[in-house]
Amino acid sequence: MNARKPLVATDRAQIMLQLVPYLIGKGEVSITEAADEFGVTEAHMRAMVEKLTVIGLPGDGGYWQMANDLFDIDWDLLDERDIIVITNSVGLERAPKLTAREAAALLAGLQVARAIPGVGDSGIFTGLLAKLARGASSTPADVIVVPAPVDEVRSTVARALRQHVAVSFTYKAPNAEATTRTVDPVKVHMASGQWYLQGWCHLRESMRTFHLDRVSDLELTDIRIAHGEDPVPAWFAPGTAGDVKVRLQFSEEAASLLQDYLDRATRETTDGVTIATIRVADEFSLRRLATRLGGVGEIIEPESARRAAAEWAEAGLAQYR
Amino acid sequence: MPAKDLAKSPPEERLVNLVVALMATEQGITKDAILTSVSGYREQSEAGASKDALEKMFERDKEALRGLGVPIETLGERADPDDLREARYRVPTSEYVLPEDITFTSAELALLNLAGGVWSESSLSADARSGLRKILALGIPVDEPIIGYSPRISLRDPAFPALQQAIEQTKVVRFSYLKPGEDAPRARRVQPLALIEYEARWHVFGNDLDAGAERTFLLARIVGPVEITREAFPASLRADAGEKALAGLEEVAARNSALLEVNPGTEAALRLSRRATPAEQGIRLPFVDIHILADELASYGPEVRVVEPPELRAQVIARLEAALHVHGGAR
Repeated sequence: MNARKPLVATDRAQIMLQLVPYLIGKGEVSITEAADEFGVTEAHMRAMVEKLTVIGLPGDGGYWQMANDLFDIDWDLLDERDIIVITNSVGLERAPKLTAREAAALLAGLQVARAIPGVGDSGIFTGLLAKLARGASSTPADVIVVPAPVDEVRSTVARALRQHVAVSFTYKAPNAEATTRTVDPVKVHMASGQWYLQGWCHLRESMRTFHLDRVSDLELTDIRIAHGEDPVPAWFAPGTAGDVKVRLQFSEEAASLLQDYLDRATRETTDGVTIATIRVADEFSLRRLATRLGGVGEIIEPESARRAAAEWAEAGLAQYR
Repeated sequence: MPAKDLAKSPPEERLVNLVVALMATEQGITKDAILTSVSGYREQSEAGASKDALEKMFERDKEALRGLGVPIETLGERADPDDLREARYRVPTSEYVLPEDITFTSAELALLNLAGGVWSESSLSADARSGLRKILALGIPVDEPIIGYSPRISLRDPAFPALQQAIEQTKVVRFSYLKPGEDAPRARRVQPLALIEYEARWHVFGNDLDAGAERTFLLARIVGPVEITREAFPASLRADAGEKALAGLEEVAARNSALLEVNPGTEAALRLSRRATPAEQGIRLPFVDIHILADELASYGPEVRVVEPPELRAQVIARLEAALHVHGGAR
C-alpha cells in the first residue's frame, strides 16, 4: 500500500479536475505551494497548468475553439514569478463532490479526532458528519474507528495542553526504577490505542517522550510552560530501532503477527521459512515477543536473547505448577 | 491552434475536455457530436481513426470518469430506451459539484484538517487529502490549526482496499481465512458490510453466506488476496452496518471477561489495569478475541497469571510451553 505509485491517465485527469477549483479558490498561488498540495513535482505542476490552456469547450460547428472557450492563465506571472493565476475559466469552478472513499477517509478520521478531550464539541461533529454524507457522490463504506477510552491521565494531559501548564507524574520506564518528572507538554501522539506525551522534561532538561500507560499520579502544576515552542524531534514508535541486532526465524503465516517488528527488517525467505534481521533497543524486549509468538517464531541469535526467552517462558509456566 | 500538435494529445486532456463539454450542456449531446467536436476525439476523427475505435475509447472514458465519481447521465430515446444511437449524454452540475448550500466554518475546517491527517502512510491518506483539497477549494479561510495532537490510525492490512471497494459496490467477496486452532485456511464467501477498527485491529463485518449468519472477521487472519466477485447484494443491507458491527463487538466484550492476577509495578500491571476493573482476586478484563488476548498475556510471562476462564489459561500455557520448547536448548 504505497501512496507514491505512478500516476495513470485517470489519476492525472482527477488532479486536473481538482486543480481548477483549487486555483480559483486560491486566487493566486505559487507553483511550489500547488505542487506540494497535490503531491507532484514542480515541473509536473507547471506542465499541468500549461496543459490546462488547451482544454475547454468543444468548437462550434466544425471550427476550432475560440480563445474564450479555453482555460487561460496569466503567462507573465507564471514565466517570471512562478505564480499561477487563472484568467479565464470555462467550467469546473466549483469543487466536485467527494468520492465515497474520500468521504469515508475523513469520516473515520473525525471519529478519532472526536475522542480527544476538548477538541470540538459534539455539535460540530454531528454537523460535519451530515455535511460529509451529503457532499459525497455515493454512499461511503462504513469505516468505523473505535478509539481507546480516555482515562483520567489522558484527560488531564489534554487539560494541561489547553492551559499551557506543566504536569508532574511518576514514570516507570521498562527495566528502570520509577522517577518523578515535571514536564512541559508539547504534543500528544496517538497510535494503535496508545498515547505518548512529548514534552520538555525538567529533570533531564531536554525533550522526552513518555508512554502514558507508564505514567501514574499525574497532576497539573501551576508552572507556565517555557518550552512549548521548542523544536520537537521526529517521532518514532518506541521499540522499532536500536543497537542490538537480532535474527528471527518464522513461517510465512506468522509474518502478519510480526508486522510492527518487520517494518525496518531485512528478510530472506527460503521454502516458506523467513529469517528476518531486526534491530531492537534491548534484547530483553524480545523475550516478550518470543512468548507472544508461542513457538511460531524463534530467536536464532543472539544466544543471550534465546536464553532470556526460555527463562521468561519458564518463569511464566512456574506460576501454573 | 495547429491540429498536428493535438492529434496525439494525452488521454487526461481528453477526459477533462469531455467533462467540460458534458457539464456545459443542459439537454445533453450525442455520441456523434462528442466524437466530432470534443478536443481529443475530434483530432483523431479527423486523422481518420475508425468510428468503432473512437466509440470504444468513449465507452472506456465514460467508465473511467464514473470511477472518479463524475455522474454521467444517459438520456435515451423515449421510444426505445435500449437504442443508444440517439442517446444524449450530460453531467448534471447539481450532482457533480459540492452542493451550494454546504459551507464549512473555519473551526470545522481545522477539525477536518486534523481528521485528514490520521492515515499516515496508508492508501486512505491520499483519499483524505484529496477530499480535504476539494473542501479547501471552496475558499473558506482556515482557523488556527489544532496543535498539540498527532492522532494516527495504523492500517497495514493488505485486505482493506478490496474489502472497502466491495462494500461500496455491494459485491460478494471470497477470501481464505485462517481461524486460530485450525490447520489450514478455509474459503469464505461474504457480503461485506462494514470495516471496523476495534482495540487497534481491523475487522470486517458482514454476512457469511456459507454459515448463513452475520460474522466479524479479523483482517490480519485473511490469507492471500480478497477476490471481488460479480455477485451483487442489495444495498439496503449496508444500512446501519457500522453500528451493528460495533454493537456486536461490544456485546462480545461484555460477555467475555478474564480474571487475572498481576504483579504490581510490572509492564503487565501498567498495560492491563487501565482496561480492567478491580476484582476480589486480581483484576477482571473484558475481551473480544481469546486468541489475541492469549498472545498478549503470554508476552507478559511471569507478570500475570490467568485464573479463569480455563480456555484462556490453557492457551496461555500452550504458548509459554511452545516458546520454551523452541528456545530451550542451544542451537
